Amino acid sequence: MVASSASSTSGITKGSVLVLGGGVAGVQSALDMTELGLKVYLVEKSASIGGVMARLDKTFPTNDCSLCILAPKLVEVGRNPNIDIITNAELLKVAGTPGNFTVTIKKRPRYIDEEVCTGCGQCTLYCLKQISDDYNEKLSSTHAAHIDYSQAVPTSYHIDPKSCLRLNFETCGLCAVACQAKAIRFDQREEVVELPVGAVVLAPGFGRIKNEVLQRYGWGKFADVLTAFEHERLMCASGPTNGEIVRPSDEKHPKKIAFLQCIGSRDRTCGNDYCSSVCCMYAIKQASLAREHDPEAEITLFYMDVRTHGKGFDAARERAISENNLRIIYARPPRVEDVFDGRLLLTYATEDGEHHYEYFDMVVLSQGLESPDDAELIARVTGIDLNEYQFAATGLNAPLATSRPGIYVIGAFQGPKDIPDSVTQASGAAALCSSLLTAARGTEIVHAQYPAERDVTTEEPRIGVFVCHCGINIAGVVDVRNVRDYARGLPNVVYATDNLYSCSQDTQKHLTDIIKEHRLNRVVVSACTPRTHEPLFQATMREAGLNRSLFEMANIRDQCSWVHMHEPEEATSKARDLVRMAVAKAAHLVSLAEQLLPVTPSALVVGGGLAGLTAALAVAEQGFACTLVEKNKELGGRSLLLTADRSGNSPSEMIGGLVEKVRQHRLITTYTKATVASTSGYVGSFTSAIDTGRGSEVVNHGIIILATGGRPYRPSQYLYNQSDRVMTQLELEKRLGSSRPLSNQIKQVVMIQCVGSRGDDLAYCSRVCCGQALKNALRLKALQPSLAITIFYRDMRAYGFQEDLYRKAREQGVIFIRYTPENPPKATKDATPKSRISIKAYDSLLGEEVELAADMVVLAVGIVPEDPSTLARMLKVPVTAENFYLEAHVKLRPVDLPVDGVYVCGLAHSPKTMDETIAQAQAAAGRACQPLARGSIVPEPIVSQVDSELCIGCGACQSFCPYKAIEIYKEGKLRKARTLKASCKGCGVCAARCPTMAIDMGRFTLEGIRSQIHAFAEGE
Amino acid sequence: MTNEQYRPKILGFLCNWCCYTAADSAGVGRYQYPPNLRVIRIMCTGRLDPSFPLEALASGADGVFVGGCHPGECHYQDGNYHALVSAALVHEILARLGVSRERFLIEWASAAEGPNFVKIITAFTKQVEQLGPLGLAEKIPAESLRVSLTQAAKAARDRKLRTGLINASREMFKGGDFSRTTIAQLVQAKCEKALHEVDSL
Repeated sequence: MVASSASSTSGITKGSVLVLGGGVAGVQSALDMTELGLKVYLVEKSASIGGVMARLDKTFPTNDCSLCILAPKLVEVGRNPNIDIITNAELLKVAGTPGNFTVTIKKRPRYIDEEVCTGCGQCTLYCLKQISDDYNEKLSSTHAAHIDYSQAVPTSYHIDPKSCLRLNFETCGLCAVACQAKAIRFDQREEVVELPVGAVVLAPGFGRIKNEVLQRYGWGKFADVLTAFEHERLMCASGPTNGEIVRPSDEKHPKKIAFLQCIGSRDRTCGNDYCSSVCCMYAIKQASLAREHDPEAEITLFYMDVRTHGKGFDAARERAISENNLRIIYARPPRVEDVFDGRLLLTYATEDGEHHYEYFDMVVLSQGLESPDDAELIARVTGIDLNEYQFAATGLNAPLATSRPGIYVIGAFQGPKDIPDSVTQASGAAALCSSLLTAARGTEIVHAQYPAERDVTTEEPRIGVFVCHCGINIAGVVDVRNVRDYARGLPNVVYATDNLYSCSQDTQKHLTDIIKEHRLNRVVVSACTPRTHEPLFQATMREAGLNRSLFEMANIRDQCSWVHMHEPEEATSKARDLVRMAVAKAAHLVSLAEQLLPVTPSALVVGGGLAGLTAALAVAEQGFACTLVEKNKELGGRSLLLTADRSGNSPSEMIGGLVEKVRQHRLITTYTKATVASTSGYVGSFTSAIDTGRGSEVVNHGIIILATGGRPYRPSQYLYNQSDRVMTQLELEKRLGSSRPLSNQIKQVVMIQCVGSRGDDLAYCSRVCCGQALKNALRLKALQPSLAITIFYRDMRAYGFQEDLYRKAREQGVIFIRYTPENPPKATKDATPKSRISIKAYDSLLGEEVELAADMVVLAVGIVPEDPSTLARMLKVPVTAENFYLEAHVKLRPVDLPVDGVYVCGLAHSPKTMDETIAQAQAAAGRACQPLARGSIVPEPIVSQVDSELCIGCGACQSFCPYKAIEIYKEGKLRKARTLKASCKGCGVCAARCPTMAIDMGRFTLEGIRSQIHAFAEGE
Repeated sequence: MTNEQYRPKILGFLCNWCCYTAADSAGVGRYQYPPNLRVIRIMCTGRLDPSFPLEALASGADGVFVGGCHPGECHYQDGNYHALVSAALVHEILARLGVSRERFLIEWASAAEGPNFVKIITAFTKQVEQLGPLGLAEKIPAESLRVSLTQAAKAARDRKLRTGLINASREMFKGGDFSRTTIAQLVQAKCEKALHEVDSL
């Protein structure tokens, strides 16, 4: 898989991109770019891709299995002919100009030939040299010849040159003898290759907090002080303890666990003055899972602020706390002490100033995210600037662009962030590369080739059943081996086995081999949900020469082990039933012909605010026509209400420029004062009617991006609307942008956070209000340094680099007082119109009620999405209880909606800052242009089929079909119905209504479903 | 079989886009519910053949659940209204055969409503559990009920009843009233003749 120096025709735009870093961001960006017609060199410094996400057990806020959702992507990268994975590699040089770079890469030897290695593991078995296992945070050991983890991509072993006996001492060499495939290459040497590429995407991820910082908390000294990464591995089924959380000192289950937050974050002493953004939430996740492992465990989390500002995070946090009885203490214990009975002592002061002592069995350090260790090196070789914390420097208006044109940055190297934000940026960077390299789209890619499909029509069913452990996600509840053995006895089953993770790359190879070896002609995978994993297994079927419709899944995780966690026997019995039903259906599956449908190569963007403008431009710059619909008279949206961004620049200038670009772009048609009156169709072929106020325009388009935005919540609290002295942060922004922002009379400003947010009227956190309050407090201070400003808050959610604003505000004398939702500040005024506002609140620091006479009260009011119901109904896309659009997958498909061809960005998705909105809008454009770039789609062949013998030509099917996908034709004198396959969506209404049962559905056949019903009934 | 040991067998037909997704999201959120339900995934509740629930009850289910998208939110526009028509026929036949109508439920949960799905299934499981095995609440021998349910499933695949359903569906869309009562009346009226045969089962 080593990339050779491809044809280098200098001066011409290249159709390839170098992605540095194979974590989830790099992987997503690589996959998106190949879909946009670009070839990708994925350069990874370690021996396998997957990054940190591959080392996580679960992901917040849903506690979904991390590897389960990542592995299909890794497999996809591994089998993608347009991605060259270059492991053990580093970037030495980037020369040239945007569109036409030459990158130099140094590739360290793996000492095992990737192309030849079969992944059998004999080398590890025979290797004499034990080394500590980095994948398991050094909590277990492996050998010098090893694979990082069993699902690793590439599925090839490698030798650690630092410890190999043969390489260092010319001895041993047993692996070479043991390797049947003859893949060991001790004579491999370092290689330096030059590659011509059009753009570079940096995704090196984050670095670890220095050991010295961890040692302050007893890590490395006391065995039972663990980092969160170590704890994560302990929780994981594939971890050093097979998923048992035990104390390293005595292998006992800890009954009292403490999580210490902000280790190496928000900490001046180690230079990391920023907030790492993810630790508050991952600690909640780990704490919940620790309780799942041991329902007796008592868990305490020590927070400075609880920063769970992401979409759905507050709800997940509240549920986790109440269900798991988690104890939250606002305190920052300065150190951990060891006491002689094997317990750990924490001393801490709560906000009321009281000191406490408490013993714990285990302490977990929630370590933050640092810039990567080689950040300076990367900056040097790529010529980009770093910020003061050694992360890539980016501007708020172009969050994914580094200081060097043609080089983009995504993921944690751009600033600490969680997986969805990283994935979003990954798709955004793909759009930017695609724009830059539009001229060369498709010039360097090849199309995947599958072997010819085996004709199985005359064969008796030979069903293979694969039962997945999913680590402990299934096997922790369901007796997987029992289910496997049971499957072996079912009719038509000729083979059944179990896998630790069915979705890993090595299992795909195994599956292909088994299909061939046992001449299977139907496959049942009993694992998670077909909604997420069917495409992966269907691709494997095709690689094994089988039609993808010969596949069926039994969902024994999402709808079994996860929902019957405390009833292992019942869950096992249910899993057996579900497998039996799937096998019964599988026997009736037949090969179905594929069809290729054309795509209208244009987009419809709904909403002309920052998100919609950015998305429309990003679509047009990739070379596709775009219709932009805005309901107001002017483009620009509510970002125009902001008068300064965090760096003090004017957003209206930036938005003005954006509007100008959109107006000028030849591929963008803009309708203002217009709405989408109706829309129908499906991915590749939508038709919408735009009500322009002067009539209706019909637009055909291949995809839709929803950027319908949000608006400020209208408060009724705190005397709003009853006094001129009370205003929202947005109204303060307006004033700050005016010529006379602050009168001399104003001495005391009070800001109140979370007005209406986090449980009052809006159940969620609006994410941006804390940052906005800090920004505006600093703007006020700059105008009038003597101004007294007090901010009442619940948790100051100054995540990421916004922590700088928080610190500056404190340094400049802004007073911060925490309030609880049970005891919020109270505002009163006297009857005079000019009355100052009296704010009374309990100050927990002083332990008493404070009263302030405020000249100005500023309310942080939160964001409400524009009502999505009309569009949601027309497009059949779901919305959350809070009226935000619900994405297809919160972690890995953050801008896709569950309906193909529909995407979301901006406030319609969830509250977010302007730079986050820009990145997300670019991401939506990156995802949305994929079907447009492909030019065609291959829908699932689950269409209806009319048996003309049985058909009586009554036309009921034709009249009920929602897609006009059935037509009546004359066969001699008889009327008969037939399906127009390209229009059929497979709903099955025609089959259910046909009076003579003449219509059947692909994969969901009458006999298939009846056999499922009968198999169900056979259950004990 | 004593009542404590009795665990009802429930078969569910869930549409891919709403209820099946809701069931998945209940799993991801680790919401727990009784382990009685077995699920058949269909793309749309519009695929639900009226014979399916009858056949399920005939072959051993104690309860049948159909789960789709909320009215007006069908991924395929109006499949769930067709499902309501099929469901009305099922309820009508159950009534005529003397089978408790509480053994069959059609309800909605959107993709975002994992907890709602759990609530529906938990309540339905309890409801069927209270009825006991098929025949118990009905005070009719299960065997004879199964025989007539099998016959009814066959009748539901027959042209006469299905033509009645086509007419009921047409009337429903014409009238634009999708309330369950109206649909039940339409189905009764349009299938009246064909249903006489069911009465004799």
